[in-house]
Amino acid sequence: MNNLNSLQYFLPELFLSASILIIIIVDLLLKKDKKIITAYLSVLAVLVAFFLAYRQYNYAFTSLFEGMIVLDSFAVYFKVLTALSTIIVIFISMPAFRRHSEYYILLLVVTLGMFLMVEVNDLLMIIIAMEMVGIISYVLAGFNKFNMKSNEASLKYVLYGAASTGVMAFGFSYIYGLTGHTNLFAIQQAIVGHSLQPLPVFIAFVMVVAGLGYKIAMVPFHFWVPDVYEGAPTPITAFLSVGPKAAGIALFIRFLITVVAHPASQTTFIQNVQIQAPLLLAVLAVVTMTLGNVSALGQKNIKRMLGYSAIAHVGYMMMALVVFNTRGFTAIMFYMVVYMFMNFGAFWVVQSMTPHLGSEDISAYKGLGYRHPLTAVAMAVFMLSLTGIPPFAGFIGKVYLFAAIIKQNWYTLAVIGVINGVISLYYYAYVIKVMFLDRDEEIKAISVPLYDRVLLWLLLIPVLALGVYWGPLIDLAHNSIGFFFGN
Amino acid sequence: MIKLALFIWLLPLAAFVINILIGKRLPRKGDWLSVGAIGISFILSLIMLYRVLVDYDPNFLVQGSVPWIDLGVLKLNMGLYLDNLAVIIVTAVSTVSFLVHVYSIGYMEGDPLYNRFFAYLSLFSFSMLGLVMWDNLFGIYMMWELVGICSYLLIGFYFTKDSAANAGKKAFIVNRVGDFGFLIGLLIVISTVGSFNLTTIHQAVGQGVLHGGLLTAAGILLFAGAVGKSAQFPLHVWLPDAMEGPTPVSALIHAATMVAAGVYLMARLNFMLTFDAMLVVAYVGGFTSLFAATIAITQNDIKRVLAYSTISQLGYMIMAMGVGAYVAGFFHLVTHAMFKAGLFLGSGSVIHAMHHSMEKTGIHGDPNDMRQMGGFRKKMPYTHITFVIFSLALSGIPFFSGFLSKDAILGGTLAFAMSQSNPIHYLLPTFGFVAAIITAFYMFRLIINTFYGKPKNESLFKHIHESPKVMTIPLMALAFLSLYFIYTIPSISPAGPEGGWFTHLIERPISAVATQLGHPVLFIPEHTEHAAHVNGMLISIIFALTGILLAYLFYYWKKIDVEKFTQRIKPLYALSFNKYYMDELYQATVVSGLLLWNQMLAWFDLHVIDGIVNGSAWVVRNFSFMDGWIDKYIVDGLVNLVANMTLAFGKSVRKIETGQIQNYILGAVLGAFFIIILTMI
Repeated sequence: MNNLNSLQYFLPELFLSASILIIIIVDLLLKKDKKIITAYLSVLAVLVAFFLAYRQYNYAFTSLFEGMIVLDSFAVYFKVLTALSTIIVIFISMPAFRRHSEYYILLLVVTLGMFLMVEVNDLLMIIIAMEMVGIISYVLAGFNKFNMKSNEASLKYVLYGAASTGVMAFGFSYIYGLTGHTNLFAIQQAIVGHSLQPLPVFIAFVMVVAGLGYKIAMVPFHFWVPDVYEGAPTPITAFLSVGPKAAGIALFIRFLITVVAHPASQTTFIQNVQIQAPLLLAVLAVVTMTLGNVSALGQKNIKRMLGYSAIAHVGYMMMALVVFNTRGFTAIMFYMVVYMFMNFGAFWVVQSMTPHLGSEDISAYKGLGYRHPLTAVAMAVFMLSLTGIPPFAGFIGKVYLFAAIIKQNWYTLAVIGVINGVISLYYYAYVIKVMFLDRDEEIKAISVPLYDRVLLWLLLIPVLALGVYWGPLIDLAHNSIGFFFGN
Repeated sequence: MIKLALFIWLLPLAAFVINILIGKRLPRKGDWLSVGAIGISFILSLIMLYRVLVDYDPNFLVQGSVPWIDLGVLKLNMGLYLDNLAVIIVTAVSTVSFLVHVYSIGYMEGDPLYNRFFAYLSLFSFSMLGLVMWDNLFGIYMMWELVGICSYLLIGFYFTKDSAANAGKKAFIVNRVGDFGFLIGLLIVISTVGSFNLTTIHQAVGQGVLHGGLLTAAGILLFAGAVGKSAQFPLHVWLPDAMEGPTPVSALIHAATMVAAGVYLMARLNFMLTFDAMLVVAYVGGFTSLFAATIAITQNDIKRVLAYSTISQLGYMIMAMGVGAYVAGFFHLVTHAMFKAGLFLGSGSVIHAMHHSMEKTGIHGDPNDMRQMGGFRKKMPYTHITFVIFSLALSGIPFFSGFLSKDAILGGTLAFAMSQSNPIHYLLPTFGFVAAIITAFYMFRLIINTFYGKPKNESLFKHIHESPKVMTIPLMALAFLSLYFIYTIPSISPAGPEGGWFTHLIERPISAVATQLGHPVLFIPEHTEHAAHVNGMLISIIFALTGILLAYLFYYWKKIDVEKFTQRIKPLYALSFNKYYMDELYQATVVSGLLLWNQMLAWFDLHVIDGIVNGSAWVVRNFSFMDGWIDKYIVDGLVNLVANMTLAFGKSVRKIETGQIQNYILGAVLGAFFIIILTMI
């Protein structure tokens, strides 16, 4: 479709872009103590974008802007998901960032970037979208300007990001050189049509995986994660572990499905590229989750612990990537939603409790179960859900992930996944133990504002509800991936 | 329609959630929330009933479901099944529930757990409405247990009182016995049919998937659930004790709705009852109706009389389900819900007055005791008049709703007996008719003792006063709903419900068992039915009037001296007064049996097992040193080794996080090379 006609299918992104400009202007007119209004406007903007994106669900597959971007239900699913994550993170940030309107504007820009990331269909657009998300993320990670850790995190993020984007771009140049196309479909056609030299294709593929792996924090491209997660402001840490990661996974799936493998039928994939992609992904998944879990074991800082656990969760999700079929992708998409709620929940507890506890160390949570029972119980639910214990949503998510790989007889992988679950129980349960079993002689009750409690409930309810009634969501996910498989 | 039903169902749930969480902090402690929710449900259910009446189609059915749990082998849906039966019972439940909610505002005023009471009422309404609307047995079972829990919570609402807490436990445990049967029945159904859906079960039974003895067993086991919940003999013992709960609860749960759930279940599953199963149902119901009625005669606690009366009336309904008088049984369920709720609320009004009077005069006593009452007619005119209306309805006097339904049941039972070759089945109508005399007798004994005659306790009588409007208006509404023409419109003949909307809309479902066998489960010729109906009507009117007359002879005109008469039939009186010693019997057999068994186990543990243990202990002791050594250095060592290794691994892995960005990038590059090498091999 040509550029002009494409605009009508580009409404959510156009609306977001316009909102960003308007909010910047509104920000100029606001007095210093009224800056919080921009936060409300941002929520409104993302909310509208959310609904605009949702309305595009079930549109027939459309290729926009001369093939640079595609619109399908898969993209819409992730757009809705990332928009939701932005809304939640704005609410999480509001109590702490009351005067920083640019913070919210930057979040909107990231959202726009994430929207693009999930629908790109062209190598150039991939770079543009990823950099749009990446560069703003660097700024956000260093947003606490007077905090050395935050600055360090930002700088490391920049350097690491630059290196991996460079590698990925280099990989893209290989692909372009080999096929003569930047459009993903055209690349696929070229790979299928001409029997290319396997080695350069393979090296290009690994380079692209390096770039994408950096975005989703996959081992061995995860080095930035602990430092950045610890140094960045807590809401940003939460956001980075959900929103951009979801977009990254969406991009990863799209790249795998369109370029590496060719969807020939419902259940099996015929590979275009002559490499053992499933085995490679399986090894990476195992390494990722094991490393994440094992490193999280001895952490004293709760944010760093959650950062490592975020790596482990990427590993779980990659596990289902291995099987390359509807079931696996559906499981990942479902898990992403569940993970969003429980992870945001855990981070929100950290964010709202840090001022009361005075520290981000796990030991500071001592006796929280007696000081503010609601928060402690909610935190326990999030921890158990992250471990994957019924009846919480995390359990259902893991059931689908494991079911997908067991169906395809990846038993060893499943066993390693379960062992990893056991390891993770140790450090998640440790938080619960500290909150409930350790207590001070005298209990100093914490009073939590209504806003904090309401937000806590809003994050807690989906974790509980999706643990008992998840049918519609799994259907939605299944329906969204259906396009790639011709149904 | 489905949307409407969903609102009706879920509004009380929302009220429950809000009330239980923050009810205490709401203005008026959140009673308006519960009352409002059930009020809207009530209005919506009226709209639903109106739509059904406009349709006027006996085969009306709306179904809707969404997938819930998909485990591959077992697929469960959540869905609603709305036919005329469901719509009518939803309306009845929401009506009674709404009126009881309103009444409770007055009755529970000033209670320290006011908000929790309303929260529980809302939860109950939600569960009960769900029970009658679910389209599969699994959901029904779930809601069945939920209403059971609500009942438990509300019976033990005054949990500081030992008797209330014990009554709650008793209700819960006795119900477990029945529910266990229900569960086994469910398992039979799922293992043969493979689905819980009512429609699917109907088809499967029709095709003979579930047949013969197993089908009979499934029917009887599912009936066991009903025996527990509807307090049928021999599991009836919990219901009289359940009167420890607040009176509105007794009216709503233990008279009008929850206890009728068993009857509802039998109506829903009527299609899968074989002849043998139906006989069991009929005899259990028939026997219970007479058995409970004879106990009600001698009780002095106003609520206990009503409790036994409820058991007896539920027996009627169950019997009707067993003899194929499906419409009559269900009809009685609805009419009974109205007037029995009314009777309980009326008794609550009396108890409320007694309670306040006792507080004022400082007399400590049982406000439920009829021997303290008498002559309340003038002090409580509204309560009195409505109470008489309810009693007339319950006794089966023409022009009241109870007459229509009770007469239909008795007629149906008689027709069943007449159509069977075996004369022993005449026992069933005999149970019914004798119970009818007794019912009229004990109800008027209750009325005369409470409202007529001289006050038995003058000082208490002085402070008796009518209850507030919020309590009397629900009574009047229920009294209105106990008039016959409500159920016979458009016909206004007081002789029977034929031609009315109710009998038009409710039809006996096609029996799947009959489809399977190829002939009707039981065949009652039309002329027999007609003859039975006419005879039954005459007999039941005469019997009811006789019962009332006897009550007047005994207690009003005092032509027969009650004391002397009691002395003459002392053994019988004692038997009835002590409820046939059923509680004592259970205490002596089941409870002590269990305790004895426990003691035996304890003895066995202490002497045999401990003996063996002690004997082997010294052998073990000799090895224990060595064993301990192995444990300490080898087993523990291994366990700790694994844990330490994991931790050490973590430690060493974490070392790659040096904080140096150069190392990070180097790591990534090495990692990429590693990947390339790995995949090349």
